Amino acid sequence: MEGLRLSLGGAAGGAHLKNISCHAFSTLMEFAVDARGIVKVYEKTSRALDGVDLQVRPGKVFALLGPNGSGKTTLMRILTTQLPPTEGHADVMGHDTVRESGAIRGLVGYVPQEMSVWTDLSGYENMLIYAKIYGIPSEARRRLIDDSLEGIGLSDAKDRLVRSYSGGMIRRLEIATALLISPKILFLDEPTIGLDPVARKAVWDKLTSFKKDFGTTVFFNTHYMDEADLYADEIGIISRGRIITTGTVAELKRSVGGEVLVLETESNGVDAATLEMVRGVASVRDVALGESELAVIADDAETALPGVMRILGNSGAMVRKVSMSAPTLDDVFLKYAGTRLESGGRLSDVSRVRKTIRRGG
Amino acid sequence: MNPIKNMLVMVELESRRIRHDRTEIYTRAVQPVLWLVIFGPVMGALRAIPTGGIAYTDFITPGVLVQSMSFVSIFFGLTMVWERESGILKKLLVTPAPRYSIVVGRSMSSGVRSVFQALIIIPVALLIGVRIVPNPLYFIGVLAVLFVSSGGFAATSILIASLMKSRERFMGIGQAIIMPLFFASNALYPIEMMPPILKALSSVNPMTYIVDAVRSLLITGDLAQLPLDLAAIAIFDVAMFIIASASFKRIIE
Ligand SMILES: Nc1ncnc2c1ncn2[C@@H]1O[C@H](COP(=O)(O)OP(=O)(O)OP(=O)(O)O)[C@@H](O)[C@H]1O
Ligand SMILES: [Mg+2]
Repeated sequence: MEGLRLSLGGAAGGAHLKNISCHAFSTLMEFAVDARGIVKVYEKTSRALDGVDLQVRPGKVFALLGPNGSGKTTLMRILTTQLPPTEGHADVMGHDTVRESGAIRGLVGYVPQEMSVWTDLSGYENMLIYAKIYGIPSEARRRLIDDSLEGIGLSDAKDRLVRSYSGGMIRRLEIATALLISPKILFLDEPTIGLDPVARKAVWDKLTSFKKDFGTTVFFNTHYMDEADLYADEIGIISRGRIITTGTVAELKRSVGGEVLVLETESNGVDAATLEMVRGVASVRDVALGESELAVIADDAETALPGVMRILGNSGAMVRKVSMSAPTLDDVFLKYAGTRLESGGRLSDVSRVRKTIRRGG
Repeated sequence: MNPIKNMLVMVELESRRIRHDRTEIYTRAVQPVLWLVIFGPVMGALRAIPTGGIAYTDFITPGVLVQSMSFVSIFFGLTMVWERESGILKKLLVTPAPRYSIVVGRSMSSGVRSVFQALIIIPVALLIGVRIVPNPLYFIGVLAVLFVSSGGFAATSILIASLMKSRERFMGIGQAIIMPLFFASNALYPIEMMPPILKALSSVNPMTYIVDAVRSLLITGDLAQLPLDLAAIAIFDVAMFIIASASFKRIIE
């Protein structure tokens, strides 16, 4: 594999030198992604990113977690040199995304959120076209593509039109294409959106093993909490165009506190004064108010519960249901962003993806 | 990565797509065939248009070929709009291929479709008795002119696409551009017949030069004007490539 990559550099001519210097650079490089004060305004009015500062260390799996419309895709498109930021600047693998976009494009693998394959070509042909665009020499091409297709379990389907693939197969094909050049950093925009659990696992198994073999930095967007929880070394939470907090999963959960009490209440039954009183109950560390629920973070939830219930009862708020749990990322999200993340069902994702695929066919 | 090689990959992409699905080529051939089979003989029977001794259907065959080429290429821009809505364009933008090579490569690849289209229309023309210059080199010249001109129109459509936000609007605009160009050219009648204003318009109409080039290579065999025609086509292509590449930013956002 190493020998092959060297010959790739040779075929790409000038890219050879750049690769070497970048290699030397990456050992010194502090951050794989280093974004400072990124603002993006679409069409002069819509402020999709509102001052993003974000650092990702090389070799990590980083998850950018945020609800629909929070700016995840916009940030990724800026980092992958598709769009210039309105303000601020970002370095990816030590190169500026605007001035040195060419150098970055030779190093990144990218899977966009929307379907990005030609449905009227076979899986093999899709990879062949990209292999040619990347200038992979013809002697190596066939083997490399066949091996990649084998690796993601698409060997049997490789000569079928992509139109006949399932959503999971398409996603795996896209990931295989992105891995074709053994990228130094991989950008995945909602890599498993709309996939069933089995397909999601298959995608992540492939990514994890690739990551292990090559030490690639992985940057992925998601609004699936469990995915960030399971696969990310570090997580950034984005809401309304701002990074609200970053850290490892454990750090973030610890920052929420010991245990979480979730009280489902009648909407707007809880006012600010009541909230303050709940905050005063013994062992309560923090309180967050969602749309129709109150999350109470306490060192010992069982001790806190009676006091909280009494205060809510006095204020006239109706409590319909109480649950108790260790903090999840969703609680982290509620604490920092003030809303729940997983509100819109996955069904809408599925139909969105299906629609995209149908349109392609 | 060599931009020329890049453009060839785009051409290969289009050829492979056509190999898998040719329905669009057949359905798009219906209209030009109707022009040849019905409009040509009916107008020709009137003998109203002085064509310099050429049968009328023979006279309009180049025009019909060029019209079909321009439709194919203009609607090819629609593919780009679809690719913008899907992730294809985003992914292409993150490859080392320079942006202008994506624009020029995708434009040139519409030429593949145009040539296939011509290879369906020309046999029909032969079948109804149109006589073409019996020289294979000239014939290859015809296909080359159609291929190259196609790129200019496809770039025009990429330019329009970058100004449009919806595909529906785009369809209307495509029609609204080609038909005037078609009628303000020498496709259906010689320039000498036109009123002065139309004459002036047709002299800056790229379609006029393309039709003239195809006519001289396919029907008359008189190549006196060919260098001028080819120069005009080259200018049209290069100008549209530059403008389309410059406006490409808007498609991306
Ligand atoms: N091309 C565009 N033109 C104008 N506005 C845009 C464009 N792309 C995104 N936006 C707006 O910018 C905001 C952020 O969008 P973005 O796609 O980055 O969010 P996201 O977090 O990726 O959301 P999702 O989970 O739906 O993919 C949204 O309000 C969106 O409407
Ligand atoms: Mg998104």
